[in-house]
Amino acid sequence: MTVHVSALGLGRFGRRTEGWLDLAAEAATLALEGLGRKPVDLLVVGSMLTGAVNGLESTVPRLASRIGMESTAGFRVDAASASGAAAFQAAVLAIESGRYERALVVAAEKMTGPPTPEVTRALANSLHPSEVAAGATMPGLAALIAQRYCARYGVSPSVFDLVSVHMRARAALNPNAQFQTPVRADEVSASRPVALPLRLLHCPAISDGAVALVVEKGAGPASVLGFGQGLDAMRLIDRVDLTTFAATRVAARRAYEMARITRKELEVIELHDAFAPFALIDLEDLGVCGPGEAGNWFAQGWVAPDGRLPVNPSGGVLGRGHPIGASGLAEIAEVACQLRGEAGPRALPRLPRIGLAQSIGGMASHNFVTILGREAS
Amino acid sequence: MVPPLQLRRCVSCQGLYVPGNGPCPRCGMREALAVEVPPLGTVVAVTELTSPAEGWSAPHRIALVELTEAVRLLGIVEGPLPVIGDTVGIRKEGDVYRFNSAPPG
Repeated sequence: MTVHVSALGLGRFGRRTEGWLDLAAEAATLALEGLGRKPVDLLVVGSMLTGAVNGLESTVPRLASRIGMESTAGFRVDAASASGAAAFQAAVLAIESGRYERALVVAAEKMTGPPTPEVTRALANSLHPSEVAAGATMPGLAALIAQRYCARYGVSPSVFDLVSVHMRARAALNPNAQFQTPVRADEVSASRPVALPLRLLHCPAISDGAVALVVEKGAGPASVLGFGQGLDAMRLIDRVDLTTFAATRVAARRAYEMARITRKELEVIELHDAFAPFALIDLEDLGVCGPGEAGNWFAQGWVAPDGRLPVNPSGGVLGRGHPIGASGLAEIAEVACQLRGEAGPRALPRLPRIGLAQSIGGMASHNFVTILGREAS
Repeated sequence: MVPPLQLRRCVSCQGLYVPGNGPCPRCGMREALAVEVPPLGTVVAVTELTSPAEGWSAPHRIALVELTEAVRLLGIVEGPLPVIGDTVGIRKEGDVYRFNSAPPG
């Protein structure tokens, strides 16, 4: 059965004064307005931190009451920083089952407010307890992975600066992005160390935001062609190779097989640049280039909107902002937005026909790949 | 005298791994033999967190250290910051590994 994205509700990411429920309701309402008066019979929520940071649970009935959807069914999906992508895939499965006609997927996070060390600790809840016991954090582990990547491929960490420059340049064209100004490579390399080789501008910002979309039966300009997910060992020390994310490779293989395409047919990618070096690992894991080659794609500008394969026209996690449970859905929504020709100032020079969204959950322990394409309705 | 490190050797795939709550990370077999190795390893990645999580003081240093047969440990660095390739002494305190770049004599 074909399923497609029929409406989008893109909220503004950044430091917002509203609470979780207000942000979620805002995005949901935008998506429902785009849909017209068609009935929705399923609500799927994606979020990571409502309990740990906002002291808020039972998000589904809360949101349903707020937006007048008490008569629907609903559930919440958790996959850490990939929660939004997991919620999307769950909604697609529900529609494909034939049980539901039309689902509203809402992914939201409210992270600003509490002190940063408290949020950092909550984020580390998605790591293995033995890593947390050693005081490891997301940026800390990402730094260790980045070092392995540099050592293995003889790459200079300065290539990470190019990733941040690319993301911020793209975000500057996205009115919903947290960061509206570009940065230069020398500004990135002069930003304060967080966990070397990672500096502040290689890392995502603490952010608030929500995204919503509607998936329903039938074909459209943003039809679901394929999707997959993959799991990996929770303990970093149990992974044979730290310069690749097996969970992305498995998810991508499953998604490509289901869509019956190869990566050569992709015309836009929205990948999960949780930290600048991850954008390189992601490109390689998606099969866009060989191991250790992704830095050159950024250096040569092949990822630019007019390049060989445009990457992260939204500005990515680094530019768009990273309300953690919302990012996975934001990645899918951006691909849908580009395919539907609704991307405004950040529209690619050529309307893409097929696009891919990749989302990383936790320290790449559960990753998701979703492929959308234009199909005549 | 620093005690040796306790590892596990999987009876099925013969892989060596760091004990945790789970089975062999390679093949999923639960049955394993206890193996002791010297408390020394080589730093393969090391970083200093300038903004650690709540409960830790800055800067907090962590490292990945490689033992025999490519077995790796993640732990806390004590003392001076080592560089990749350095040999460190390893001590286990509770569930946490601690690395010191001045190996015990």
